[in-house]
Parts: sequence; structure tokens; C-alpha cells
Amino acid sequence: MSKIQEIATLVENGKVKLIEAAVQEAVEEGVDPTALLNDGMIAAMGVVGAKFQANEIFVPEMLVAAKTMKKGVEVLKPFLAGDSVGKNGKYIIGTVAGDLHDIGKNLVALMIESAGFEVIDLGVDVPAEKFVEAVKANPDAKLVGASALLTTTMDSLANTVKVLIDAGVKSQVKIMVGGAPVTQEFADSIGADAYTPDAGAAAVKAVELIA
Amino acid sequence: MIIIAEKLNGSIPSCAKAIAEHDEAYIKDIAKKQADSGATFIDVCASVKDGELETLKWMIDLVQSVTDTPISVDSPDAQVCVDALKFCNKPGLLNSVSGEGNKIDVAFPIIADTKWQVMALLCDDTGIPKSAADRIRVFDAIMAKAAEYGIKDSRIHIDPLIEMLCTTDEGEGISMVLEVMRHIKSTHPQVHISGAISNISFNLPVRKIVNQAFAVLAINAGMDSAVMDPLSQDLRGVIYAAEAMIGLDDFCAEYTSAYRDGIFGQKK
Repeated sequence: MSKIQEIATLVENGKVKLIEAAVQEAVEEGVDPTALLNDGMIAAMGVVGAKFQANEIFVPEMLVAAKTMKKGVEVLKPFLAGDSVGKNGKYIIGTVAGDLHDIGKNLVALMIESAGFEVIDLGVDVPAEKFVEAVKANPDAKLVGASALLTTTMDSLANTVKVLIDAGVKSQVKIMVGGAPVTQEFADSIGADAYTPDAGAAAVKAVELIA
Repeated sequence: MIIIAEKLNGSIPSCAKAIAEHDEAYIKDIAKKQADSGATFIDVCASVKDGELETLKWMIDLVQSVTDTPISVDSPDAQVCVDALKFCNKPGLLNSVSGEGNKIDVAFPIIADTKWQVMALLCDDTGIPKSAADRIRVFDAIMAKAAEYGIKDSRIHIDPLIEMLCTTDEGEGISMVLEVMRHIKSTHPQVHISGAISNISFNLPVRKIVNQAFAVLAINAGMDSAVMDPLSQDLRGVIYAAEAMIGLDDFCAEYTSAYRDGIFGQKK
């Protein structure tokens, strides 16, 4: 097995304890750090996301794979060219105003980060205006993700998308929405660019949207 | 265990369908089954975007047409809860308030001089606190308000916020939420410690096993109220057994009579 494959397998299987030494060893053996990141870890997280979507693995397994990748990236960072981590640009994410739920949003943030984005997490109960400010403050951000967990905060999600569109940021970013009560139909009706049902799908969609 | 029966909730797809189609028979059937299996309150949550109050009234009327079991009026909007109290034939549970916004000031004055009980969630405008100390801070603020309005501890149910096991911090498990429960139990023994049991098992396989394990640990930490499915026989049996083990059921009288009543262990 090649070193890159080995790293990918460790990430896929969430071997948190083994990843640091393995990445260190690979770098010392002269494996290209960028290839380790892209073809090893990011590719592995793509597989993890797909398996999650197919109900082959469970949330904690996805979580531990993402954590494994994070650990690996920390070891790799000093060897990478400055812009390799977060090569896909910035991704602004938050739970909409009036909604305090962050578990799903955090999972999406983790998977998005694993797909090669630099995530700017605005937290929970985020006013629509704060999304707009964040987009304007980060001209290199290409995507915004907004989440709502409650039926009662779906209006807030609709408002967030509307305020973003009215602020004219659509020329810069595409807007993704999600959360338990959200559907493709609802996403279409409020003018969002994409809806994804889970964190794995969100990461795949994000890469697709900036392609 | 005080059982707040959870199945009439518009966030459950089958129930959402019944609400959308005005399927009266479905609502009545679920209400009756939950009441017959010993629910203390029948929770009614519309979870619709428009016309929430009207939907609640429709559901509450249907429930009350088949059972006298008190209603748990459930909405994330405290004003909607308050407005729906008048639809109920007798005092039940207002579900819920929290430290968020003005929820408490909306609800507490209305229920102050009544027999209504109230569910309070330990979150506030800062979100869902991550540490036990911060949740206890929200608890203390809620209890101070309750004292102000003269609402006795025994009318208060506290939901310390049960979150999914599979995303808890490494090395922590559910220790934080158990710590909150033990603190409440030791400082306010009359306050009911509640929460939605099945939240613990989101995104895990064979959820009922996780739910049962949680129930045992939570009961040991002081939980005496739960938002749950009263028809899940195995969970009911585990709860009776755990309560007997911590000395709440002398001679296993409740355990044996619940078995005899077919609440668990028997095919009905």
C-alpha cells in the first residue's frame, strides 16, 4: 500500500491515535505533502461522506474520521504551501436568528473543513445582517451555509436568505441551507442555491458549487 | 416516573401527515393509546409553520374527546403555549419556557395562581450552555423567577437538555448532564428532573438500547419525569426496574403491578 493510501485508510477508519506518526513518517520519506492532503485525507473524507449518505456508517464514525484528518493536517501544515489548507476558499456558516441548535451545524462545518474549505463559524442565533457583514468582510468567501432546526425558525431561515439576496451578495456567494425541517422544496421557495440533507452531502455539494 | 407522552408532535412525520390531512381518527387513536398505557400528560405539539394556535386547539379538542389525561401544551413559542391553555379542560403542563428572551415573563404570571405545571429548559440567550456550571446558572435564574411568582418547586419540571450521545466530548460521555441533574436533586428535591429520553440516541443504531441505558443512569441521578413514548414496553420496564433498585418501589409493588397491567413484558 502506498503511503498516501495508508493515510487515506487511517482517516477513513478514524485512527486518531495512529495518524500523527503516520503523516510524520510519510513526510520524512519524501511523500509530497500536497498529495498527502488532497489525494490522501480530503479524498478519504469524500469516501466517508459518501458512506454516511448511504447509511453505511454512523455520525460518530464520521466525526472521528474528521477529527483524525484534523490531527493529520496539524502535522502536515508546516510542510504545506501557505494556501493548500483551505484551498477551496472560505465557507461562512451559522445557525439562523432565534435558533440555538448547533450540533448539526457543527457537523456540517467539520465536513466542509475536511473538504478543503476554511470555515468561518458565526455560531448560533445569527442575525441575517451578521451573515451579510461576514460575506462582505471576506471577499474570498464563495459559500454561505445557514441552518435551522425548528419549524418555527424556518421563517428566520427564509429571512436570512432574503436579506443576503437583497444585500446583493449573490454575485459573490452561493447560499446553502439545511436542518431537520428543511426540504428541497422549501429551499427552492426561499431562493437558496442548494439544500442538502446531511453533513456528508453538504461537503460534496459545496465542492460541486465552487467548481 | 411522570410520563409526558410524546407521540402527538408535528415534527414526527406520521403525525405531521395526520395534521395536514385533518385525520381526526389518527390523533384520537394515538391519544387514547398513550393515555391507556399510563401517560401522566399527553403532549400536544403542532409544529406547523402557519396557524399553530388553531392546530393546537384542534388537536387538544380531539385528545380531550377520548381521555381525561391532562394536556402538555407544547410550543417553542411561550405566547402560543399561554394562549392555548384556555383550550384545556383542566390544568396540565406548559411545555416550555427557558432562559431565552421573555419566555418566563410571558408564562409565569399567567400560571402563577393556577395548578398548571411548567417545563423549563436550561438554555438562554447565549445558547445551549456547554458546561454544568453554566446550565446551573440558567437553572438558578429560572428558580429565582419562579420564587418571585410564587410557583412552587413541585410544579416545575426542569429539562437539563439531553443531547445526542454520539457527539459528546471525548472522555466525557453524559457526565455533564448527570452532574446538572444531581445538583438540582440535591438543592431542590421537589423540582422534577425531566427531558426527552430519546434525544440521547440520535444517529446511533438500535436506539432503544441507548435510550434504556440512559434512563437507568438518569433515574439514578434524579430524573423523575420524562418526555417519552409510553408505548415502548421495554423502556417502561427498565424504568420501573431502575426505580425499584434505587429504593423508590418497596417490594417491587409498582413493577409487578405494571407487569400485570401489561405495560411491559406481555404481548398485548
